[in-house]
Amino acid sequence: MQYLIQLLISGLAIGAIYGLIAMGFAVIYKSTGLVNFAQGEMTMITAYIAWTISTTVSGNVFVVALGAILAAILLGLIIERFVMRPMLGEPVFATVMVTIGLAVILRSAINFIWDAYPHGLDIGMGHGIVHLGGIGVRTGQLAVIATLLLLLAAIWAFFRYSKVGVAMRAVAADDRTALLMGISATRVHALAWAASSVIAGIGGVFFALSYDLSPAMFQLGLKAFPATILGGLDAVLGSGLGGLLIGITENLAGGYVGSGMKEVAGFAMIIVVLMVRPFGIFGERDIERV
Amino acid sequence: MRTGDYKQSYGELVALIDSPPVWLWSAVLLLALIAAPHLLNSYALSFLMIILITVTGALGLNILTGYTGLISLGHVGFLVTGAYAYAVLVSKYHMPPLVGFLGAGVVPALASLIVGAPSLRLKGLYLAITTLAFSFIINTVILEMRWLTNGARGIQVQRPEIFGISFDSDAAFTYLCLGIAVLTLLATLNIRRSRVGRAFVAIRDNDTAARVMGINLHAYKLFAFVTSAFITGIAGALYGIYLSFVSVEGFPFLLSIEALAILIVGGLGSALGAVLGTILIVLLPEATRLVFSLFSAQLDTSFTTGAQELKSMLYGLVIILFLRFQPRGLVGAWHDIRRTWVHWPLRY
Repeated sequence: MQYLIQLLISGLAIGAIYGLIAMGFAVIYKSTGLVNFAQGEMTMITAYIAWTISTTVSGNVFVVALGAILAAILLGLIIERFVMRPMLGEPVFATVMVTIGLAVILRSAINFIWDAYPHGLDIGMGHGIVHLGGIGVRTGQLAVIATLLLLLAAIWAFFRYSKVGVAMRAVAADDRTALLMGISATRVHALAWAASSVIAGIGGVFFALSYDLSPAMFQLGLKAFPATILGGLDAVLGSGLGGLLIGITENLAGGYVGSGMKEVAGFAMIIVVLMVRPFGIFGERDIERV
Repeated sequence: MRTGDYKQSYGELVALIDSPPVWLWSAVLLLALIAAPHLLNSYALSFLMIILITVTGALGLNILTGYTGLISLGHVGFLVTGAYAYAVLVSKYHMPPLVGFLGAGVVPALASLIVGAPSLRLKGLYLAITTLAFSFIINTVILEMRWLTNGARGIQVQRPEIFGISFDSDAAFTYLCLGIAVLTLLATLNIRRSRVGRAFVAIRDNDTAARVMGINLHAYKLFAFVTSAFITGIAGALYGIYLSFVSVEGFPFLLSIEALAILIVGGLGSALGAVLGTILIVLLPEATRLVFSLFSAQLDTSFTTGAQELKSMLYGLVIILFLRFQPRGLVGAWHDIRRTWVHWPLRY
């Protein structure tokens, strides 16, 4: 029982990180109709920038957080402006392949700029241990779960009530009609890329805090795919919850079946789910006409 | 006056090669390739081998992604399955190499049924991600089945001997790769002009319309998966023999992306494009290295230390630039040049 609860809690913690990155995927998909295959790499760059700030400027939590958020916004805006905007109006396949090319470039750039060795991110927080009913939990793990839940609520409210959120939904539903209604699609896209970069970046920083910072971190993006597919590519909230579900599944499979299963439990799960609902658990079914 | 190249019968429309000059140039190219192993040094020969093996794999992916429009991010999964099937049959159970090659085709083809069946309901990005999932699952399966695959330790593979002919030397192995690449090229060109190939293209262009015209979507999609996996598996076996060692690390995920890059750079859905794309992508790092070394020796050393990174950055950049400026790839560029040449000084 103790073991099960331990697995569940650490599953929730890693699942919250997957959830954050999966929300990054969903925010971009919802407003631009693209899957951003460079999401894992963007997550990783933000984490590396946070690490650089903590070792060169100041280890203060607020300085690091502010610096990382600003860097993530800048990264999202630069990518949108110089890589994605020229592809506006091209077929989806072409645009998605561009994000794959971008992923390859960013991943190599990280190895080129920083080194290939793992580093620990230390901002003097997140390593303390809290005892919950006899089970030790790190504060960083609790913080990431809380952050995910807060962001889920904030994003729900954003899409439901704010004018910009409604505009984003309009662009996603039909960008031509949205343009005719006076919504600037490029501005909505820029906002989506910046927001997605920040949300996923938060996940990356939390990952670096709980585990290690290493060039293998881009795999977080691949791990978050099952989460966002499970939730439905167009469901931002579903993706966040999908992350938690994938985290728990992975940990249970790793704890009870074998460590090899831990790596692929998520992927195996999406294949099964997609056989039943090809558009994800919370996704919407497209109706196509010839 | 003839103003263009017009087809006047169905026979001309589906001809394998429609003009005598193309026959001539193909024959010249084939003769050059046959002479090449005797003329090139071993360094240049290794590039020729890699190009021939990669062409086979790229033609395999072209059936699925280029003709049928099903995007696969997991083709490295079929490649590694083929390589392991060959290595297990030939190195471990000492079967003849021909049986090994057959296994290298059939095992991935069976695996593709497993991944293809759930993919039938999926489209576009969802399908891309399912195939990606497949390539990760296959890696784990291989690592877990230690009794068959030696797990992470991998399997040594010898160059084969078929019908008493030893393919041990580089020149002989190049001929083997050349033979398989030419066979694959002829096979895919023939598939493209057959009833099946036209059904594939109809599915790519609009699957709902194709279905209304009486094309069985499930059967043809599965068929595309199986054929593509069969060819890719054989390319995998060749690659395993070339490396002389088959392990999961020898087939990184980047190969899937490289394969898609080849198709995009060459021109999606064209066999000629797959060939041109392969040549460009395989030779790109080498060409860059030569250009760098011309400028200065110091630049050259910095390139060798960060070579892997710069090489992958170049891939990324080439994919993005082609998609942005020449989405029809090298084949599209070639068609444009030819049209300009024929019609000059008119615009069209």
